Amino acid sequence: MTPDNLPSAAPSIARLVQELNRLPGIGPKSAQRLAYHIIRLPDEEAYALAEAVTAVKQNTIFCGECQNLAETTPCHICADDRRIRSIICVVEDPMDVLALERTRSFKGMYHVLHGVISPINGIGPDQLKLRELLSRLVNPEVTELVVATNPTMEGEATAMYIQRHLGRADLRVTRLARGLPVGGSLEHTDETTLSRALQGRQEL
Amino acid sequence: MAPPRTYRCEGLTLRKASIGEADLVVTLFTAERGKVRAVGKGARRSTSRLVGHLEPLTLSRFSMAQGRDLDIVSQAEVLDGFAAIKADITGITRGLYIAELLDGFGPEDSSSPGLLRLAVNTLRAMPDAVDAEMPLRYFEFHLLRLSGMLPELYQCVECRREVEPDSHRFSVNLGGVLCPSCDPAEAWARPLSLRAMKVVRLMHRGRLAEVAALNLSPAVAVEIKAILSSAVRYWLGKDIRSNAFLERLQGEEVTGASTIG
Repeated sequence: MTPDNLPSAAPSIARLVQELNRLPGIGPKSAQRLAYHIIRLPDEEAYALAEAVTAVKQNTIFCGECQNLAETTPCHICADDRRIRSIICVVEDPMDVLALERTRSFKGMYHVLHGVISPINGIGPDQLKLRELLSRLVNPEVTELVVATNPTMEGEATAMYIQRHLGRADLRVTRLARGLPVGGSLEHTDETTLSRALQGRQEL
Repeated sequence: MAPPRTYRCEGLTLRKASIGEADLVVTLFTAERGKVRAVGKGARRSTSRLVGHLEPLTLSRFSMAQGRDLDIVSQAEVLDGFAAIKADITGITRGLYIAELLDGFGPEDSSSPGLLRLAVNTLRAMPDAVDAEMPLRYFEFHLLRLSGMLPELYQCVECRREVEPDSHRFSVNLGGVLCPSCDPAEAWARPLSLRAMKVVRLMHRGRLAEVAALNLSPAVAVEIKAILSSAVRYWLGKDIRSNAFLERLQGEEVTGASTIG
């Protein structure tokens, strides 16, 4: 939507609608609704929103080690002496780090790729933080790589590509277990997931 | 009487994209309706009944509901997940090449059982082929045929005389073979050896299993790829993204060197 599509709106409102319309999942109607909601906000709330957008753009950088989004480099996880530095868990997105941290089960380090290989969408290895991962793996102190890309076809393709380029025979490479989700049902589970769940069955 | 608001179909998932909080938009290639774009509501949640059923390169039976803009996938049952081609990254990329071509050539709102059967048979033939590239060439050839652009292999596309068994040239934009005496200025021609011509004719007349059993010299395989891949790219009118990645992987396999920049 361009300001021309809102001829009766004030130029600044039309511009806000246009900017909101660029956001993922926000269509023209939602953009209009959000814009008019922002206009009706108390001044301090609207300015706080604008300030938050400005601050996140000004202060966010890539951590020089794990490539996660952070305000310092190294980030608070990479700087934490209590973390196990011999294990690196590679994930697709910063949100995956948050999900794994919520489990409180993983005490190693992370590496964020910022995407997955998607040939059909023109995303290749050069668009990911793969070179940075491989340079971290040269360090002999790293003994295990946990590949935690999503169990999708693109996530699997990325995992295979990483394995192909490791260049270290002594590195233990593991993949997150795949199988049935808590609360799921066998009846509605696809054949690939079920066969992997069978392969990965454990003693009761 | 109003047309039914629900329907069933069988199709191959070509691609998927995230939308909203947990939904997926999928592009399916179905036997009954050709290319269909549909929404899988909540399909990104790990406990969704649809999770795993809407992965690209999966043949499924779908129950669909007609929506205002996009149809909605209400149920899906996997018929073939093509696990063998998904066991390595080159196989996955070859599968995605097929998906990208189906997405580009496949008609919408038109039943295309032949095209779906061709794609499914090609995906099934690749793991056991002597050279997995040959089923891909067979797919390209018959994709052109089923799309109404069958390459002419028996008559010169310029003078219409029957071609003699000899080395010729293949014109991508004129859609077939040129005899040695014809050289039209507007033809984008590539050399076509007698051996390569015989293989392409086998693709036309023969079965997929025969083509999958071929063990060609690298030079002939490259020649055939140059002709058929160029032809599909020419008719599609754009580069095929997965082909670039496939060539990169194959280059890495040959040299053993990483190309990560």
